[in-house]
Amino acid sequence: MAQAEGKVEELTDPLFFVDRPWVTIVWDDPVNLMSYVTYVFMSLFNYSKERATELMLLVHNEGRAVVSSGRREEMERDVARLHEFGLWATLARDDN
Amino acid sequence: MTAFKGFLKFSEDSYILEISESEKDVLINLSGQLIEILAERVDETHSDPLAKMVGITGYDTPPDDEVLLRLLPNAYADPVDSSEFRRYTESDLRRKKAQHSMLLRSHLMEMENGRVMLDSESALAWLGAFNDIRLALGVRLDVDENSQERLELLSPDDPMNAVFAVYSWLGWLQESLVLALMEEYEEDEN
Repeated sequence: MAQAEGKVEELTDPLFFVDRPWVTIVWDDPVNLMSYVTYVFMSLFNYSKERATELMLLVHNEGRAVVSSGRREEMERDVARLHEFGLWATLARDDN
Repeated sequence: MTAFKGFLKFSEDSYILEISESEKDVLINLSGQLIEILAERVDETHSDPLAKMVGITGYDTPPDDEVLLRLLPNAYADPVDSSEFRRYTESDLRRKKAQHSMLLRSHLMEMENGRVMLDSESALAWLGAFNDIRLALGVRLDVDENSQERLELLSPDDPMNAVFAVYSWLGWLQESLVLALMEEYEEDEN
């Protein structure tokens, strides 16, 4: 996926992240296929194809995207699952 | 590589791949190499069998090898948090990745008449294995956003040429499996 500049804080929708201090971020990677990244979001997070495609495009165009939010332990689990399927993911405290 | 159709949806929750002997051998070979790479970082320094049993390893530093680092990336930007996470999770991640490749290998070794049949659960493991192999080859090929042209123009006797051919073929194969799996979702949504 192509390299692009972007700020994580611009990508998080505050409505969805109230009182949920940790986020999982997926980073752009030149090897992973766009279709595969979409499918991983669908099967790991149960996101609709539409939502998964939207997130994949954010990663592709902005360089990164917040794909889930919640408690730290939950985000660690999400990151581990994403690593299992080869996506480049990190977790961080949501600074919003 | 020979021309063929890639993965096709066969029936509900069943996906079929027709594959030649030589293509099968390539996949068996590459997945075998991946399993070896993952096993290289097996912890031999940790002396506490209980820690080992619950999956705690002595490793809290990122792998030196670039391929391993891409397969087992840092989970935090902060090195201290990252080390802590790695210590508790890396052996599990290595095991799960190796399992994906082992499943792919056993399916290929057991297949008959050049056909593999997968359900969506094993398809996901195959996708994971394909992706890990492509990540490993991508590191070796130094793939970045602008590498496509460079790799396509490699001289025919450059050994990386063959690696790039396999890398591209695997991408195409992976894509065909994703598209076949996506058909299921399209039907659900209609």
